[in-house]
Amino acid sequence: MSLERPLNQGMPVIRKKMLNKRLKQNLTGYAFIGPFVIGFLSFTLIPMIVSLYLSFTKYNLFASPTWVGLDNYIKMFTNDPKYLQSLKVTFTYVFLGVPLRLMFALFVAMILNTSSRAVGAYRTIYYLPSIIGGSVAVSIMWRNIFSDTGIINGFLGLFGIGPVSWFGDPQAALFMLITLSVWQFGSSMLIFLAGLKNIPGEMYEAASVDGAGFFRKFFKITLPLLSSVILFNLVMQTISAFMTFVPAYIISKGEGGPMDGTMLYSLYLFRQAFMFNNMGYASAMAWVMLLIVGIMTGILFKTSRSWVFYESEGGK
Amino acid sequence: MKKKPALLAAALLLVTVLSGCGGKSENTGASTAPANTGGSGNSNKEVTLRIAWWGSDNRHTYTQQIIDMYEEQNPNVKIEAEYASFDDYWKKLAPQAAANRLPDIIQMDISYINQYGSNGQLEDLAPYLNNQIQVGDVNENVLSTGNIEGKQYGIPMGVNVLGLNYDPALLKKAGVDSIPENWTWDQYKEIALKARDAGLFMDGSMTADVFFNYYLRSNGFSLYNNDGSALGYEDDNLFVEFFGMLSGLIEEGAVPTQDKLSQNKGVIEESDIVKGTGIGVWQWSNQYVSLQKAVNRPMALAPMPGPGMEKGLYMQPSMYWSITSNSAAKEEAAKFIDFWTNSEEANLIIKGERGVPISNKIKEALGGSLSEAEKQVFEFVAEMEPKTSPMSPPVGSPEVVALLTDLAEQLNFGKIEPDAAAAQFRTEANAILANR
Repeated sequence: MSLERPLNQGMPVIRKKMLNKRLKQNLTGYAFIGPFVIGFLSFTLIPMIVSLYLSFTKYNLFASPTWVGLDNYIKMFTNDPKYLQSLKVTFTYVFLGVPLRLMFALFVAMILNTSSRAVGAYRTIYYLPSIIGGSVAVSIMWRNIFSDTGIINGFLGLFGIGPVSWFGDPQAALFMLITLSVWQFGSSMLIFLAGLKNIPGEMYEAASVDGAGFFRKFFKITLPLLSSVILFNLVMQTISAFMTFVPAYIISKGEGGPMDGTMLYSLYLFRQAFMFNNMGYASAMAWVMLLIVGIMTGILFKTSRSWVFYESEGGK
Repeated sequence: MKKKPALLAAALLLVTVLSGCGGKSENTGASTAPANTGGSGNSNKEVTLRIAWWGSDNRHTYTQQIIDMYEEQNPNVKIEAEYASFDDYWKKLAPQAAANRLPDIIQMDISYINQYGSNGQLEDLAPYLNNQIQVGDVNENVLSTGNIEGKQYGIPMGVNVLGLNYDPALLKKAGVDSIPENWTWDQYKEIALKARDAGLFMDGSMTADVFFNYYLRSNGFSLYNNDGSALGYEDDNLFVEFFGMLSGLIEEGAVPTQDKLSQNKGVIEESDIVKGTGIGVWQWSNQYVSLQKAVNRPMALAPMPGPGMEKGLYMQPSMYWSITSNSAAKEEAAKFIDFWTNSEEANLIIKGERGVPISNKIKEALGGSLSEAEKQVFEFVAEMEPKTSPMSPPVGSPEVVALLTDLAEQLNFGKIEPDAAAAQFRTEANAILANR
């Protein structure tokens, strides 16, 4: 307390004490969020601002950046077929992969939403692929399973088929990436499972009494009551699908091949930035990506008003 | 008063986090500071060198062994090692270059040396040659691979040569007793078709940029012009001939289809030669040892087809040691490179893992300790060495290489005609090169 005394001179004692107390309380708070704020500033906000600046420049890391105005953004849409290809691949990946993954997650969640004794073990087992989900190891394993001498081609070989070049055909390779993403359904499945548990059992009982069958119950009770959870999963999965990088990088050996069939947006961005040292162009790509993800999320929220059902708002 | 422990805890947390950040920069600061004092050239002064390389675990281990050995013999020198995988290495190096904080000695690759050299990041080592770094018994064509427009930006650590790595037994099965002496592309196509008739594949096609550059050189041109501002050849027929031949062999069934090539790219175990269904692989001589190990049958190396083989062939530096221009202890760094190049005991540990050593004396000294496959590689490189022509690192661009690889792939898939691909390559590559 001895330190505070000199500060107190010439001020009403009570106000000073209050101020001091508030300051101290706030200081504790600031100190606690300090590490985060510093981290946020130095690793997120400042790099973002710098990247926005760089997106209007030509910068190869060696020479200092030169201002080129909107050139990077114009080039993307007028003079870079590969960029448009990467957009096409990414949109295919997202629009096929995310719905499939959610459907599969919901399907598994419904199977696991039964009261069997082994259900806990099943939940763990089905969740496992997601824990190791985005990792390098899974992508390598995926490549091995579908390789020429892998288990799938070995099985097909028993029937005299193949070996099929799962990753060698431009269309098939993207499809393999999508199945890999569908297979990693665990996190959305867990959220669906929690949502399913929240639906009161009486509703189903009442519906059964009224003679509703399985599909009727699914479409009239499960889906509407689950819609807010579906929206959450849809938004989260869409965002993460747009940013998918590791599987495409590993499976195509970093080249996005064959014939740019697996050239996902972030892989092309990575190639521009770290292989071709076009940091300015890559930064511009990153900002367009942010814009696209923002717009997609906005659309999802806008349309959600017509299909998401919130109990708390009286069924609106 | 109750708040105090919480406040203290928070403050402590903040301090530890901050010191965690601060500590790092302090360390790097300290490591460059002694290096500054070493610049005077007084060899008894304490010097700290930073050295960086890429590679596998095995390389990290033995490189550290050699550093320890060097430190023991030069007690005034301390060496700090930084290493990573190839991809991560360049991601780390580029920002360090931008911040002028590169290590004193860096391992350089042929595809990057020009970029780093022409941007003023690397020291011209010409004044150090035969002063600190002894290169008296190194072939001129080997040394010149580190020379760009008169400036020696790197000392090659080892060399490789292009060729066909093949299985002689399978070649016989195709009805060919041996690869003819001074063979030509026409003979190559003939043999490939014989292989197909015997139910075998000839090879797994060729890496587009490397072998096209060889083909251009054997015709007196090169992929890039001297200052890297445009392509180095005018006649698109060369493109059509070379890639027409490659995609033609796929069409004829002498080489696996492109979907197979893509599917198995980079997986040695899945290559046809390992499975016994393919005769050979076109690649660098340093890749022979691991391929032979995977194949596990007697194998051999054959030279490139001609005509013009001696014009086309060059000694490829596997990698270089370069000294950075921001280093404050360049002479000490040069002494370490000399130790690496000329010390027998060091090279007995390296054993040609970074390519066949450049010093003739070292090559002889290593003779007895090599495995059968390693010996084959040493002999092949020695046999080819007098047939090579000088090569300066290309002033190329990874973007052009990617473009060429793309087009070759489309050709092999049959999605584009050779002359259309040749024209597209010319316009797009020249646009990339002009716009750097």
